Amino acid sequence: MAHTSRNSTLPGGVPKLSRSAVYKKRALYKRKKVATVPAVKEVALTKTKTVAGEKNGGTRTVPVQKSPRFYPTEDCKTPLKNRRVVKPTKLRGSIVPGSVVILLAGSHRGKRVVVLKQLPSGLLLVTGPYKINGVPLRRVDQTYVIATSTKVELPALPAIGDEIFKRKGKPTKNEKEMFVDNAGDNSYKISAEKVALQKEIDALVVPAVKKVDMLQSYLRSRFTLTKGQFPHEMKF
Amino acid sequence: MLYKRYIEIGRVCFIRLGDDIGKSGVIVDLVDQKHLLIDGPDGIGRKVLRLNQVALTDIKINIPRGCKTKTVRTAMAKEGVEAKLAATSLVKKFAAKNAKAQLGDFARFKIFAGNSHPELAQRIAQ
Repeated sequence: MAHTSRNSTLPGGVPKLSRSAVYKKRALYKRKKVATVPAVKEVALTKTKTVAGEKNGGTRTVPVQKSPRFYPTEDCKTPLKNRRVVKPTKLRGSIVPGSVVILLAGSHRGKRVVVLKQLPSGLLLVTGPYKINGVPLRRVDQTYVIATSTKVELPALPAIGDEIFKRKGKPTKNEKEMFVDNAGDNSYKISAEKVALQKEIDALVVPAVKKVDMLQSYLRSRFTLTKGQFPHEMKF
Repeated sequence: MLYKRYIEIGRVCFIRLGDDIGKSGVIVDLVDQKHLLIDGPDGIGRKVLRLNQVALTDIKINIPRGCKTKTVRTAMAKEGVEAKLAATSLVKKFAAKNAKAQLGDFARFKIFAGNSHPELAQRIAQ
């Protein structure tokens, strides 16, 4: 495999390294010389095709790969391959599976919930638990959350991914009808699968919560600020 | 008004503002109308502080003006300043305020619950 250029260009079109510097960098003298050059495989460039018609000469030699109809006027370098590996967002050190966290936005703002894990998408998987404060299995971004120092010891939980949160798409015009029926009930309905999964998770998390004294009533209550309380001065 | 606590050499002060908040030291010298030279145990060392950064306590020890840190520390140990300080309301109040500020969200909730529901107070105290 050929390497990218060992040299680079400075502003003004001047190469950064001199010939000798590049020679040293390439270090061909260090590389092992292959004893025998492997035989180059003969690849046919043309083939013969039979052509119909009396006066067409019977056969014709034709290139195997047709040259493209359109090609760019100038030769330009192909960009380097993107080798970026997508990793989930780095999680704050204060957020671990089992930490109690305060939701800051959405309909459940102010509620204290338990973090179950970080999903592959980078979002936090969170639940009230539903039985305690009505927060279902929900995805939440860590920036919309205050992490408290309280942690719940969670047992082993079933594997959950981002797939169950995927919503069904809106109906498109292709479905034989002239107009998209917007009057129909397009509101979101919770799937039975989700309800079952919530019950399963609750059955595992709620006993873990009940083990700690007053934690259940803590999760039931909402976080509020009173006079003289300033979040930047408070410890969570 | 009769002042009982004077700014004088040997007066033990409680530091109420700045980097050394909560610590205590002894006045070793006066710099000008608004500044003191304070010295104390390992935590503070010798430094100049403004008068308003400092609160005077009832405790006074006998030291010569501008004496060395070693002299101050032995004098403090001899007079048992540390124990006397722990009994002062300044130190006690600061400790209580500090403890409250260090509370986490759950601890704060428990105190609030205890205040609004006295029957839970015993349970929370455990």
